[in-house]
Amino acid sequence: MNNNSNNNKDTSTIGILDSRFNQTLRNVQGLLKGRSIPGKILLTQRVDPIDNSGLYSPTYQRSSSYSDTGTSDRATETVEEEVHSGSKPFGITNNSKLKTSTSHAENPTEEIRKSSIGGRTTDSARVMKFTKVLSGTMVILDKLRELAWSGVPDYMRPTVWRLLLGYAPTNSDRREGVLRRKRLEYLDCVSQYYDIPDTERSDDEISMLRQIAVDCPRTVPDVAFFQQPQVQKSLERILYAWAIRHPASGYVQGINDLVTPFFVVFLSEYLEGSINNWTMSDLSSDKISNVEADCYWCLSKLLDGMQDHYTFAQPGIQRLVFKLKELVRRIDGNLFLRPVVFLQIY
Amino acid sequence: MNQEMNGVEAERPLQKIDYVFKVVVIGDSAVGKTQMLSRFAKNEFCFDSKSTIGVEFQTRTVTINGKLIKAQIWDTAGQERYRAVTSAYYRGALGAMLVYDITKRQTFDHVARWIEELRSHADNSIVIMLIGNKGDLVDQRVVHTDKCCGVCRGSGPFFLRDFKINKVVSKRSLESNNGKNNIATLKGSKIDIISGPELDITEMKEVPSCSC
Repeated sequence: MNNNSNNNKDTSTIGILDSRFNQTLRNVQGLLKGRSIPGKILLTQRVDPIDNSGLYSPTYQRSSSYSDTGTSDRATETVEEEVHSGSKPFGITNNSKLKTSTSHAENPTEEIRKSSIGGRTTDSARVMKFTKVLSGTMVILDKLRELAWSGVPDYMRPTVWRLLLGYAPTNSDRREGVLRRKRLEYLDCVSQYYDIPDTERSDDEISMLRQIAVDCPRTVPDVAFFQQPQVQKSLERILYAWAIRHPASGYVQGINDLVTPFFVVFLSEYLEGSINNWTMSDLSSDKISNVEADCYWCLSKLLDGMQDHYTFAQPGIQRLVFKLKELVRRIDGNLFLRPVVFLQIY
Repeated sequence: MNQEMNGVEAERPLQKIDYVFKVVVIGDSAVGKTQMLSRFAKNEFCFDSKSTIGVEFQTRTVTINGKLIKAQIWDTAGQERYRAVTSAYYRGALGAMLVYDITKRQTFDHVARWIEELRSHADNSIVIMLIGNKGDLVDQRVVHTDKCCGVCRGSGPFFLRDFKINKVVSKRSLESNNGKNNIATLKGSKIDIISGPELDITEMKEVPSCSC
């Protein structure tokens, strides 16, 4: 870093800076921990398998083999069964997997990339750990969070995300009942607020619905699946239901992008293969509303922790920009002194 | 302000910029602000258009009367919620492009509100250009130019104009003209709308008032 070369007269400064930097890094990681990070990780993986296959061909062969077994298990209803039966194929694929991941272990970015394309997650030891944590009558979230930090096997991801976001209860006896109740609650919300004529809506509600309707076609526009009319209707219902239940912020542009990772992950429980071949009309309306409900609740849980990013004047975002500014000032004073506009507000 | 951004952008080092003009693009959601801007800055029409979150900017450097001028154009989110953030960017802007969609009456009805925004947050000397976008969708036009003139006269000093960037096409127009099959192949690709010098700006025209 620039900073170090300028400060090398005073080694203690570097020491302090380093430790501060590490502390900040830990803080950031701590913040992110336990929160499923929405993003394109899954999408890019599914969209460009061909591009990556040259680089990670062993990974890809393996991951397709496990996702096949995974999907065949998805028909089973209980979480435990799914985990047990799905874990076996991982053991077979383990050896080659371990080699690929250790060869890249020194390079952290490579490592992250590997885990994002499912490399490390096929490690049988890890799968065993996941299975163990998930199969207990009481899931210990701290343990699950720790494990999930470096990636979750594709077929376990829906279950793990539901648990980590606090949507599915940790107690396996209660899980099914709670999910059923929450899904019904979502359906009620939709029929009460969404499936009504515009004449029963307030002006604000109409303009909010219009804003959502304008944004749905522009959501993940580069993946054809999201252009399917049924997908856009689902997104519209989820977003409107969320917006109506959270009047402090209502729908704000950008929230649409937070639903999509959930949508893809929860659909992966019902649809097999590449997202490019998914068709919503293959799904029964029950399954669609289950997926929608899971998305709605997980979105709610995710946004609970950052609603002030979306309220008036967006104080949450301003606070984060301020933190970023402070971080840059601490770790790279020279960069900080350059005329960089962080957020031109004041 | 003018020098402020140079640290952030990758600029060709040998060129000396004579002026940096800051311009903001504002208007309702989905009127085509971002498309218009990327058409100007990169000469692209992008099918994978996403909604703008907060504020983004693009630049284009042009030579006018022998002076090298960088247009630094700030693109803003149209949704009301972002207004507190976006209005902070009006400060120091020499011009504002206020965009509406000629096929959506409501986006034109909000023009007065946007002008009000500019009055309270932008510099007094700001030049406002009113732009009726999606001019190619003639058959769906609901806002006619005489209405535009009405706003124009009521607003005093502003330079207002129904503006149509040459050959900018809207996605909807392509969909209706080319049929479904074509759109499928076009989707996800960027198309070049013009080739050649049509978009080159050689001189600034002084337009004293409304040109509708």
